[in-house]
Amino acid sequence: MSTVSVRYIVDDVDAAIDFYTGRLGFREQMHPDPAFAMLTHGDLRLVLVAPVPPGHPGGGSRPLPDGTRQRPGGWNRFMLEVPDLAAAVEELRASGVRFRTEIVTGIGVKQVMIEDPSGNPVELFEPVRAEARLDTRLAQPGPLAAVLPQQLGQFRCGHRARWRRRALVVEEAALIGHRG
Amino acid sequence: MAADPLDALRLPVVPVDPRPEFAAALLRRITSATTAGQPGPASPVPPRDKPTVRYFVGDLDAAIAFYCQRLGFEEELRSAPAFAMLYGGGLRLLLSVPGLPGAGRPLPDGTVPRVGGSNRITLQVHDLTAAVQELRAAGVPIRADVSAGVAVRQALIEDPAGNLVELYEPAMGYHERAQTP
Repeated sequence: MSTVSVRYIVDDVDAAIDFYTGRLGFREQMHPDPAFAMLTHGDLRLVLVAPVPPGHPGGGSRPLPDGTRQRPGGWNRFMLEVPDLAAAVEELRASGVRFRTEIVTGIGVKQVMIEDPSGNPVELFEPVRAEARLDTRLAQPGPLAAVLPQQLGQFRCGHRARWRRRALVVEEAALIGHRG
Repeated sequence: MAADPLDALRLPVVPVDPRPEFAAALLRRITSATTAGQPGPASPVPPRDKPTVRYFVGDLDAAIAFYCQRLGFEEELRSAPAFAMLYGGGLRLLLSVPGLPGAGRPLPDGTVPRVGGSNRITLQVHDLTAAVQELRAAGVPIRADVSAGVAVRQALIEDPAGNLVELYEPAMGYHERAQTP
Protein backbone atom coordinates (compact mmCIF):
# COMPACT_ATOMS: atom_id res chain seq x y z
CA MET A 1 0.00 0.00 0.00
CA SER A 2 1.66 3.14 -1.13
CA THR A 3 1.94 6.11 1.15
CA VAL A 4 3.81 8.19 -1.37
CA SER A 5 2.12 10.05 -4.15
CA VAL A 6 3.06 12.61 -6.71
CA ARG A 7 0.73 15.52 -7.33
CA TYR A 8 0.69 17.12 -10.76
CA ILE A 9 -1.23 20.29 -11.53
CA VAL A 10 -3.03 20.04 -14.87
CA ASP A 11 -5.26 22.36 -16.86
CA ASP A 12 -7.63 19.62 -17.91
CA VAL A 13 -7.99 16.54 -15.75
CA ASP A 14 -9.83 14.52 -18.38
CA ALA A 15 -7.18 15.18 -21.01
CA ALA A 16 -4.50 14.24 -18.51
CA ILE A 17 -6.28 10.99 -17.66
CA ASP A 18 -6.44 10.13 -21.36
CA PHE A 19 -2.74 10.85 -21.71
CA TYR A 20 -1.49 8.92 -18.71
CA THR A 21 -3.78 5.93 -19.16
CA GLY A 22 -3.71 5.88 -22.96
CA ARG A 23 -0.03 6.61 -23.56
CA LEU A 24 1.81 5.57 -20.44
CA GLY A 25 -0.12 2.63 -19.08
CA PHE A 26 -1.54 4.18 -15.91
CA ARG A 27 -4.77 2.94 -14.38
CA GLU A 28 -7.52 5.22 -13.25
CA GLN A 29 -8.20 4.61 -9.60
CA MET A 30 -10.75 7.34 -9.03
CA HIS A 31 -12.09 10.45 -10.69
CA PRO A 32 -14.74 11.70 -8.27
CA ASP A 33 -14.57 15.36 -9.24
CA PRO A 34 -13.86 17.25 -12.48
CA ALA A 35 -10.82 18.79 -10.80
CA PHE A 36 -9.40 15.62 -9.25
CA ALA A 37 -8.28 12.17 -10.32
CA MET A 38 -6.03 9.52 -8.88
CA LEU A 39 -4.08 7.19 -11.14
CA THR A 40 -1.70 4.38 -10.33
CA HIS A 41 1.20 2.77 -12.07
CA GLY A 42 2.78 0.03 -10.04
CA ASP A 43 3.68 1.60 -6.73
CA LEU A 44 3.44 5.09 -8.10
CA ARG A 45 0.27 6.99 -7.31
CA LEU A 46 -0.29 10.03 -9.45
CA VAL A 47 -2.74 12.64 -8.22
CA LEU A 48 -3.98 14.97 -10.95
CA VAL A 49 -5.62 18.20 -9.91
CA ALA A 50 -6.80 21.27 -11.75
CA PRO A 51 -6.35 24.66 -10.07
CA VAL A 52 -9.43 25.54 -8.01
CA PRO A 53 -10.58 28.80 -6.39
CA PRO A 54 -9.79 29.51 -2.72
CA GLY A 55 -13.12 28.30 -1.38
CA HIS A 56 -13.14 24.99 -3.21
CA PRO A 57 -13.38 21.89 -0.97
CA GLY A 58 -10.48 20.21 -2.80
CA GLY A 59 -7.51 21.34 -0.78
CA GLY A 60 -4.66 20.29 -3.00
CA SER A 61 -4.83 22.86 -5.76
CA ARG A 62 -6.18 26.00 -4.13
CA PRO A 63 -3.99 29.09 -4.33
CA LEU A 64 -1.41 29.21 -1.55
CA PRO A 65 -2.16 31.54 1.38
CA ASP A 66 0.26 34.10 -0.07
CA GLY A 67 -1.79 34.16 -3.27
CA THR A 68 0.53 32.03 -5.39
CA ARG A 69 -1.52 30.21 -7.97
CA GLN A 70 -0.70 26.58 -8.61
CA ARG A 71 0.38 25.93 -12.17
CA PRO A 72 1.40 23.04 -14.38
CA GLY A 73 4.97 22.83 -15.62
CA GLY A 74 8.35 23.15 -14.03
CA TRP A 75 11.14 20.62 -14.17
CA ASN A 76 10.61 18.35 -11.20
CA ARG A 77 9.18 15.10 -12.47
CA PHE A 78 8.62 11.43 -11.90
CA MET A 79 10.43 8.83 -13.95
CA LEU A 80 9.17 5.72 -15.73
CA GLU A 81 11.22 2.87 -17.01
CA VAL A 82 10.34 1.58 -20.47
CA PRO A 83 11.67 -1.60 -22.05
CA ASP A 84 12.51 -0.07 -25.42
CA LEU A 85 13.02 3.66 -25.36
CA ALA A 86 13.50 4.12 -29.11
CA ALA A 87 10.27 2.28 -29.87
CA ALA A 88 8.45 4.16 -27.15
CA VAL A 89 9.63 7.48 -28.56
CA GLU A 90 8.55 6.52 -32.04
CA GLU A 91 5.12 5.51 -30.83
CA LEU A 92 4.67 8.61 -28.68
CA ARG A 93 5.86 10.91 -31.42
CA ALA A 94 3.45 9.35 -33.88
CA SER A 95 0.62 10.06 -31.48
CA GLY A 96 1.56 13.72 -31.21
CA VAL A 97 3.16 13.77 -27.77
CA ARG A 98 5.47 16.74 -27.17
CA PHE A 99 9.15 16.16 -26.44
CA ARG A 100 11.42 18.42 -24.45
CA THR A 101 14.53 16.48 -25.35
CA GLU A 102 15.67 13.94 -27.86
CA ILE A 103 16.96 10.66 -26.50
CA VAL A 104 20.03 11.38 -24.39
CA THR A 105 22.37 8.42 -24.20
CA GLY A 106 24.57 8.26 -21.16
CA ILE A 107 26.91 5.50 -20.17
CA GLY A 108 24.37 3.73 -18.03
CA VAL A 109 20.90 4.78 -19.18
CA LYS A 110 19.10 6.32 -22.10
CA GLN A 111 16.48 8.88 -21.28
CA VAL A 112 14.05 11.29 -22.83
CA MET A 113 11.70 13.91 -21.46
CA ILE A 114 8.15 14.26 -22.70
CA GLU A 115 5.31 16.56 -21.71
CA ASP A 116 1.76 15.80 -20.74
CA PRO A 117 -1.02 17.87 -22.36
CA SER A 118 -0.60 20.57 -19.69
CA GLY A 119 3.15 20.80 -20.18
CA ASN A 120 4.25 18.79 -17.16
CA PRO A 121 7.47 16.85 -17.70
CA VAL A 122 7.72 13.08 -17.52
CA GLU A 123 11.06 11.36 -17.82
CA LEU A 124 11.28 7.99 -19.57
CA PHE A 125 14.38 5.90 -19.28
CA GLU A 126 15.74 2.59 -20.43
CA PRO A 127 18.48 1.18 -18.25
CA VAL A 128 21.39 -0.86 -19.41
CA ARG A 129 21.40 -4.06 -17.44
CA ALA A 130 24.04 -3.16 -14.97
CA GLU A 131 24.14 -6.54 -13.30
CA ALA A 132 24.91 -8.29 -16.55
CA ARG A 133 27.56 -5.74 -17.33
CA LEU A 134 29.20 -6.25 -13.98
CA ASP A 135 29.11 -10.01 -14.41
CA THR A 136 30.81 -9.65 -17.76
CA ARG A 137 33.56 -7.59 -16.28
CA LEU A 138 34.09 -10.16 -13.59
CA ALA A 139 34.51 -12.86 -16.20
CA GLN A 140 37.21 -10.83 -17.89
CA PRO A 141 39.64 -9.75 -15.19
CA GLY A 142 40.49 -6.10 -15.61
CA PRO A 143 41.09 -3.11 -13.42
CA LEU A 144 37.74 -3.59 -11.73
CA ALA A 145 38.23 -7.24 -10.89
CA ALA A 146 40.13 -6.47 -7.75
CA VAL A 147 37.37 -4.26 -6.42
CA LEU A 148 34.20 -5.97 -7.49
CA PRO A 149 34.55 -9.33 -5.71
CA GLN A 150 34.76 -7.45 -2.47
CA GLN A 151 31.61 -5.56 -3.31
CA LEU A 152 29.87 -8.71 -4.39
CA GLY A 153 30.87 -10.36 -1.14
CA GLN A 154 29.11 -7.63 0.69
CA PHE A 155 26.00 -7.68 -1.34
CA ARG A 156 25.40 -11.15 -2.70
CA CYS A 157 23.65 -12.25 0.46
CA GLY A 158 21.60 -9.11 0.65
CA HIS A 159 18.20 -9.15 -0.87
CA ARG A 160 17.71 -8.45 -4.50
CA ALA A 161 16.41 -4.94 -4.03
CA ARG A 162 19.56 -3.79 -2.34
CA TRP A 163 21.69 -5.19 -5.11
CA ARG A 164 19.40 -3.64 -7.67
CA ARG A 165 19.66 -0.27 -5.98
CA ARG A 166 23.40 -0.63 -5.99
CA ALA A 167 23.27 -1.34 -9.71
CA LEU A 168 21.17 1.76 -10.29
CA VAL A 169 23.62 3.77 -8.26
CA VAL A 170 26.36 2.60 -10.59
CA GLU A 171 24.26 3.58 -13.59
CA GLU A 172 23.45 7.03 -12.35
CA ALA A 173 26.98 7.68 -11.23
CA ALA A 174 28.28 6.57 -14.59
CA LEU A 175 25.70 8.68 -16.38
CA ILE A 176 26.97 11.90 -14.94
CA GLY A 177 30.59 10.98 -15.33
CA HIS A 178 31.44 10.14 -11.75
CA ARG A 179 32.30 6.50 -11.93
CA GLY A 180 31.41 5.25 -8.51
CA MET B 1 11.13 -8.35 17.38
CA ALA B 2 11.78 -12.08 17.59
CA ALA B 3 15.14 -13.36 16.42
CA ASP B 4 15.17 -14.40 12.81
CA PRO B 5 16.22 -18.07 12.53
CA LEU B 6 18.04 -17.22 9.31
CA ASP B 7 20.35 -14.85 11.15
CA ALA B 8 22.79 -17.71 11.65
CA LEU B 9 23.21 -17.98 7.90
CA ARG B 10 23.92 -14.34 7.35
CA LEU B 11 27.32 -12.81 7.15
CA PRO B 12 27.83 -10.12 9.72
CA VAL B 13 28.81 -7.61 7.06
CA VAL B 14 25.53 -7.93 5.22
CA PRO B 15 23.02 -5.29 6.22
CA VAL B 16 19.73 -7.08 5.72
CA ASP B 17 16.68 -5.26 6.94
CA PRO B 18 13.26 -6.87 6.92
CA ARG B 19 11.33 -5.06 4.23
CA PRO B 20 7.69 -6.19 4.38
CA GLU B 21 6.63 -3.44 2.00
CA PHE B 22 9.18 -4.69 -0.50
CA ALA B 23 7.81 -8.21 -0.24
CA ALA B 24 4.27 -6.92 -0.71
CA ALA B 25 5.27 -4.87 -3.72
CA LEU B 26 7.15 -7.78 -5.23
CA LEU B 27 4.13 -9.99 -4.85
CA ARG B 28 1.95 -7.37 -6.50
CA ARG B 29 4.33 -7.06 -9.40
CA ILE B 30 4.52 -10.80 -9.89
CA THR B 31 0.74 -11.00 -9.82
CA SER B 32 0.29 -8.16 -12.28
CA ALA B 33 3.00 -9.55 -14.55
CA THR B 34 1.19 -12.85 -14.85
CA THR B 35 -2.19 -11.26 -15.49
CA ALA B 36 -1.25 -8.29 -17.68
CA GLY B 37 -1.77 -8.30 -21.41
CA GLN B 38 0.91 -7.84 -24.01
CA PRO B 39 2.45 -4.40 -23.46
CA GLY B 40 3.32 -2.06 -26.28
CA PRO B 41 6.74 -0.45 -26.51
CA ALA B 42 5.56 2.70 -24.76
CA SER B 43 3.94 0.78 -21.92
CA PRO B 44 6.30 1.39 -19.05
CA VAL B 45 7.48 -1.75 -17.36
CA PRO B 46 6.15 -2.01 -13.84
CA PRO B 47 8.58 -0.26 -11.55
CA ARG B 48 11.07 -2.86 -10.44
CA ASP B 49 11.93 -1.10 -7.30
CA LYS B 50 10.22 2.04 -6.16
CA PRO B 51 8.59 5.16 -7.57
CA THR B 52 11.28 7.57 -8.63
CA VAL B 53 11.04 11.34 -8.68
CA ARG B 54 13.66 13.87 -9.71
CA TYR B 55 13.84 17.24 -7.94
CA PHE B 56 16.11 20.07 -8.94
CA VAL B 57 17.93 21.83 -6.12
CA GLY B 58 20.40 24.67 -6.05
CA ASP B 59 22.40 23.48 -3.07
CA LEU B 60 22.88 19.74 -3.00
CA ASP B 61 24.21 19.48 0.55
CA ALA B 62 21.45 21.65 1.99
CA ALA B 63 18.81 19.58 0.22
CA ILE B 64 20.28 16.30 1.42
CA ALA B 65 20.40 17.58 4.98
CA PHE B 66 16.79 18.74 4.73
CA TYR B 67 15.34 15.52 3.37
CA CYS B 68 17.39 13.27 5.64
CA GLN B 69 17.11 15.20 8.88
CA ARG B 70 13.64 16.67 8.57
CA LEU B 71 11.75 14.10 6.51
CA GLY B 72 13.47 10.84 7.36
CA PHE B 73 15.05 10.03 4.02
CA GLU B 74 18.26 8.05 3.88
CA GLU B 75 21.13 8.93 1.61
CA GLU B 76 21.99 6.24 -0.90
CA LEU B 77 24.49 8.08 -3.01
CA ARG B 78 26.03 11.50 -3.10
CA SER B 79 27.99 12.34 -6.19
CA ALA B 80 28.77 15.92 -5.31
CA PRO B 81 28.21 18.47 -6.54
CA ALA B 82 25.74 17.37 -9.21
CA PHE B 83 23.65 14.47 -8.02
CA ALA B 84 22.35 12.56 -5.04
CA MET B 85 19.98 9.68 -4.56
CA LEU B 86 17.82 9.47 -1.48
CA TYR B 87 15.33 6.88 -0.37
CA GLY B 88 12.47 7.19 2.03
CA GLY B 89 8.87 6.23 2.60
CA GLY B 90 8.78 4.05 -0.49
CA LEU B 91 10.13 6.77 -2.74
CA ARG B 92 13.45 7.14 -4.45
CA LEU B 93 14.19 10.83 -4.69
CA LEU B 94 16.87 11.97 -7.13
CA LEU B 95 18.35 15.39 -6.57
CA SER B 96 19.98 17.13 -9.53
CA VAL B 97 21.56 20.55 -9.71
CA PRO B 98 20.60 22.86 -12.59
CA GLY B 99 23.50 23.67 -14.88
CA LEU B 100 25.70 20.80 -13.74
CA PRO B 101 26.37 17.51 -15.56
CA GLY B 102 23.69 14.85 -15.58
CA ALA B 103 20.02 15.75 -15.60
CA GLY B 104 20.82 19.37 -14.77
CA ARG B 105 22.66 20.12 -17.97
CA PRO B 106 21.07 22.61 -20.34
CA LEU B 107 18.82 21.38 -23.13
CA PRO B 108 20.09 21.66 -26.70
CA ASP B 109 18.24 24.99 -27.02
CA GLY B 110 20.05 26.34 -23.98
CA THR B 111 17.17 26.05 -21.54
CA VAL B 112 18.43 25.23 -18.07
CA PRO B 113 16.22 23.23 -15.69
CA ARG B 114 14.84 25.24 -12.79
CA VAL B 115 13.85 24.43 -9.26
CA GLY B 116 10.35 24.88 -7.99
CA GLY B 117 6.94 24.65 -9.59
CA SER B 118 3.65 23.44 -8.18
CA ASN B 119 4.07 19.74 -8.86
CA ARG B 120 5.31 17.88 -5.81
CA ILE B 121 5.69 14.71 -3.88
CA THR B 122 3.16 14.08 -1.14
CA LEU B 123 4.18 12.22 1.97
CA GLN B 124 1.82 10.72 4.50
CA VAL B 125 2.55 11.51 8.13
CA HIS B 126 0.94 10.14 11.27
CA ASP B 127 0.32 13.44 13.01
CA LEU B 128 0.23 16.36 10.63
CA THR B 129 -0.21 19.06 13.25
CA ALA B 130 2.77 17.84 15.24
CA ALA B 131 4.86 17.43 12.10
CA VAL B 132 4.16 20.96 10.93
CA GLN B 133 4.84 22.33 14.41
CA GLU B 134 8.17 20.54 14.54
CA LEU B 135 9.17 21.67 11.06
CA ARG B 136 8.18 25.24 11.78
CA ALA B 137 10.26 25.20 14.95
CA ALA B 138 13.18 23.96 12.88
CA GLY B 139 12.86 26.94 10.58
CA VAL B 140 11.35 25.14 7.61
CA PRO B 141 9.19 27.48 5.50
CA ILE B 142 5.51 26.53 5.69
CA ARG B 143 3.93 27.61 2.42
CA ALA B 144 0.44 26.50 3.39
CA ASP B 145 -0.56 25.67 6.92
CA VAL B 146 -2.68 22.67 7.79
CA SER B 147 -5.97 22.77 5.91
CA ALA B 148 -8.74 20.30 5.30
CA GLY B 149 -9.36 18.80 1.90
CA VAL B 150 -12.01 16.31 0.87
CA ALA B 151 -10.40 13.21 2.33
CA VAL B 152 -7.17 14.39 3.87
CA ARG B 153 -5.68 17.22 5.87
CA GLN B 154 -2.62 18.65 4.25
CA ALA B 155 0.13 21.21 4.49
CA LEU B 156 2.78 22.47 2.11
CA ILE B 157 6.36 22.98 3.12
CA GLU B 158 9.33 24.14 1.11
CA ASP B 159 12.73 22.56 0.83
CA PRO B 160 15.85 24.77 0.98
CA ALA B 161 15.86 25.07 -2.80
CA GLY B 162 12.26 26.24 -2.97
CA ASN B 163 10.57 23.02 -4.04
CA LEU B 164 7.21 22.19 -2.53
CA VAL B 165 6.68 19.08 -0.46
CA GLU B 166 3.16 18.16 0.57
CA LEU B 167 2.47 16.42 3.86
CA TYR B 168 -0.88 14.86 4.49
CA GLU B 169 -2.78 12.93 7.08
CA PRO B 170 -5.87 10.92 6.18
CA ALA B 171 -9.06 12.42 7.51
CA MET B 172 -11.92 10.49 9.06
CA GLY B 173 -13.49 8.15 6.58
CA TYR B 174 -10.44 8.13 4.33
CA HIS B 175 -9.47 4.77 3.03
CA GLU B 176 -7.07 3.49 0.45
CA ARG B 177 -8.92 1.94 -2.41
CA ALA B 178 -7.75 -1.47 -3.38
CA GLN B 179 -5.88 -1.40 -6.65
CA THR B 180 -7.87 -2.84 -9.46
CA PRO B 181 -6.34 -6.19 -10.36
